[in-house]
Amino acid sequence: MLEALVYGAFAALFSGTVLPLLYRSKNARKASFGLSFISSVLLLGFAGTILYTGKGALFPAISFLPGLDFTLGVDRLSAGFVLLIAAVVPGVSIYSLEYTEHAKSEAGKDLQAALTNLFILAMLLVVLAGNMVVFLIFWEIMSLSSLLLVLHDYSSEENKKAGFFYFVMTNLSTAFLFLGFISLFRLTGSAELGQLESVDPGALTLPFLCLFTGFGIKAGLVPFHKWLPYAHPAAPSGVSALMSGVMLKVAVYGFLRFLLAVPSPELWWGILVLTGGSLSALFGVIYALKESDIKRLLAYSSIENIGIIFIGIGLYVIFEAEGLPALALMSLTGACFHAFNHALFKSLLFLCAGSVVHATGTRNIEAFGGLVKSMPVTSALFLIGSVSIAALPPANGFAGELLLYQAFFQASALNDPLLTVLLVIALSGFALAGALAAALFVKLFGITCLALPRSEESRLAEEVPRPMLIRAAVPAAFCILAGIFSKQLLSLAGLDVEYPDLLLLGLLLGSIYAALFLAVRAKEDHEMEKRPARISETWGCGAPTLAPSMEYSSAGFSEPLVMIFKSIYRTRIMHRPKYFDGQESLFKNGNVEIRLLRFFEEYLYIPPARAIDSISKRISRLQNGKLDSYVLYAFLAVITLIIATGVLV
Amino acid sequence: MALIRKVKAQAQGRKGPGIFQAYYDLRKLIHKETIYSPASSGIMRLTPYLNLAALLVCSLFVPLVFVPEPAGGFGNVIVFLYLLALERFFTALCGLDAGSAFGGMGSSRSMSLAAVIEPTMVVAFAALAFVLKSLNLHEMFALTAGSILPVSPTLVLVSISLFIILIVETGRLPVDNPATHLELTMINEAMVLEQSGKNLALLELSHALKQLLLMGVLINTILPVGLSTEADAGKIVISALSFLLKAGALAVVIGLFESSLAKMRLFRLPAFYMMAFFFSALTILIEVFA
Repeated sequence: MLEALVYGAFAALFSGTVLPLLYRSKNARKASFGLSFISSVLLLGFAGTILYTGKGALFPAISFLPGLDFTLGVDRLSAGFVLLIAAVVPGVSIYSLEYTEHAKSEAGKDLQAALTNLFILAMLLVVLAGNMVVFLIFWEIMSLSSLLLVLHDYSSEENKKAGFFYFVMTNLSTAFLFLGFISLFRLTGSAELGQLESVDPGALTLPFLCLFTGFGIKAGLVPFHKWLPYAHPAAPSGVSALMSGVMLKVAVYGFLRFLLAVPSPELWWGILVLTGGSLSALFGVIYALKESDIKRLLAYSSIENIGIIFIGIGLYVIFEAEGLPALALMSLTGACFHAFNHALFKSLLFLCAGSVVHATGTRNIEAFGGLVKSMPVTSALFLIGSVSIAALPPANGFAGELLLYQAFFQASALNDPLLTVLLVIALSGFALAGALAAALFVKLFGITCLALPRSEESRLAEEVPRPMLIRAAVPAAFCILAGIFSKQLLSLAGLDVEYPDLLLLGLLLGSIYAALFLAVRAKEDHEMEKRPARISETWGCGAPTLAPSMEYSSAGFSEPLVMIFKSIYRTRIMHRPKYFDGQESLFKNGNVEIRLLRFFEEYLYIPPARAIDSISKRISRLQNGKLDSYVLYAFLAVITLIIATGVLV
Repeated sequence: MALIRKVKAQAQGRKGPGIFQAYYDLRKLIHKETIYSPASSGIMRLTPYLNLAALLVCSLFVPLVFVPEPAGGFGNVIVFLYLLALERFFTALCGLDAGSAFGGMGSSRSMSLAAVIEPTMVVAFAALAFVLKSLNLHEMFALTAGSILPVSPTLVLVSISLFIILIVETGRLPVDNPATHLELTMINEAMVLEQSGKNLALLELSHALKQLLLMGVLINTILPVGLSTEADAGKIVISALSFLLKAGALAVVIGLFESSLAKMRLFRLPAFYMMAFFFSALTILIEVFA
């Protein structure tokens, strides 16, 4: 019965991929997104049941190559991530229904519809993969289909650059994964995922490092994060939501799958993961504060949240290595729950951002403002997303972080004092990231939706069509429900951790709110039936009207924080004056440049890229086009091979 | 709050308003009409109620007169901290809502400073949790209740951090000046500048409530004498009286503290916060290595 649900979902997604390519019409595209919607409903039922019962399932293997089986399997961990996919997809598919129609060419529309379905299918199969080969195959399909989606508008120079960046990074990630999986295969002799009980933990160092790097690149951990802020703005909004909400989590899933299979992870792994996570969380949000492109800002905030998830994973490894299973479970639950929650609110925010961009035609925050008047529903949904991501109770962003805080606060249970100190340092970084995220979303929501419109486009913005509203309402509803019922959800999933009941909190908050509101309303009715609340101008220091240019801007809002974290941004001011004379006394002309040093790009990415460039230039001299030299190469290669086999074997 | 004002006035050689002036102000505001700016939205109408609701829920977390049995997750430190964050988030949105440059400035400054104080706050409460071995404020103070001196000498160190946090969170000198309406110096006042009438009354009330709660945490940490652990009528009266006394004393201290300091430059503040951070971190270090 359960299997039927999955097969149904596969069939729906597959036909969703093929239909628009075969029939090439608007109806086929509609059907395609409809099918992905249906598949997600099927998957919701499937994953929910598995999570509730805790019984895994292994699907019958299909042998497609001698010695290699096509196996799919599912357990609680993968069911959790299937649930995540299924929760994000409905919103995205309804949304894309409308959004895709704005693509330039007919073929482009068909391709977008088909690729979106393929992308979802590939992610689903990665999560359900039963062995390494299946995992890698669908990992590649997932990467390539998303790459094509990033390149959907390939005419613009910016998108081409984004696509290329993404292409290089994702292949680098796959290369590391290959290396990691091959070394695992050599250790165990089996391609199954999760058979590491018999392996000596010391031998796992290499696979751990490779997999951490590989999955870290894909998840966007600092310092491998640079592709994210390029790729997300380039992709269509629905796809950005999928990439940020789901694909990054698939990388998290892969990493968890490996870690959970290791019987006794080592302490320094945890410290490494925790450090990587904390750095990502901090850098992500600090860079986001400076950003004024709405989608790029959200991409940086994804890096922050991935950091939080990795903090949870790091804590899990540390507590596990120190023999504290209860706290380890709490951190792991926190990490997974945050992954789930982030998928929900980040896809919500990306969809809202998509609507705002759609309505105003720009991605620049400085041009927004006052949208709460012209796009009330979108703004309300945007507010829900912001409250969630700023981790305010009782929305769901708070629920996952609460678990992590609880685990942190009990760090005194560790035996090693130095480790406790490390955890306290990580805790303060975590808290700082959380508070900066709150500041970030006050800025984003406040500047985008409140006050007066800052540009003509923003003043004339209109509410987006209804399908686009419904789609964003789906994750928004999930956000609130997952937060308020978090305790109940966790206990349904069989995770019994110490956790306060947010339902009670939410009810109390709501009822006090209602009581206060009614009390004041009753008083108002009582004393001034004839006088409604007065509307009057904002005080503008005596100026007759308040101009939008007088409002606080996005850059102005984050200025104090930019000042405080000056050393991290490394803003450089360069004066290049030119003089008439040698004594530099007669000024001729010159220029001054204020530039943000892109630290990671300039120190980490460019040097190896240059090195590779120069090496390949040298190698390309070998290609001289003469037949006899190619024969010589082949001859030399054969000789080397013969000698090598002689020496090695 | 009123007492602080009185002490400040006395210290400055003025007579100062009566202790109940704050309540008169609230009553006056409640009877006034509410005025909204045409640029403002639902945020401005929603925030006052939400803030007061959040702080009322918060008040269930801090035992002021007696310590109840912890139930239903109430008293969780982290939830407490984030309810305060909820209040701050919406106040800051309110500041941006009317489109006034003052409001924007207030929210920007408030959120920036809040971001910098947040690690200190979390670490200070983590230090409390370390020393008192619980995540629950009720359980923590059940442990301290009844003793005359602080349970552990390290609590004195945490109290210094908590005092600084109290100053920062309630917007007092040297961080913010609650008495000013000069554009360069206001932070919290700037955000509520466009609020009026009943809404302003609610916001003022929640601000006062926040101060009371943070004072409660500080008092229970450093001077828990008189705090009763059971809901017995006689004991409650005693502990309520003793709380009033202690809170009064604390208010005098804050008033004198404020009068003796000048407002700091905005960008000098992180250094001031570091001091609080240092004391909390020191507590944790001592607890860990001892």
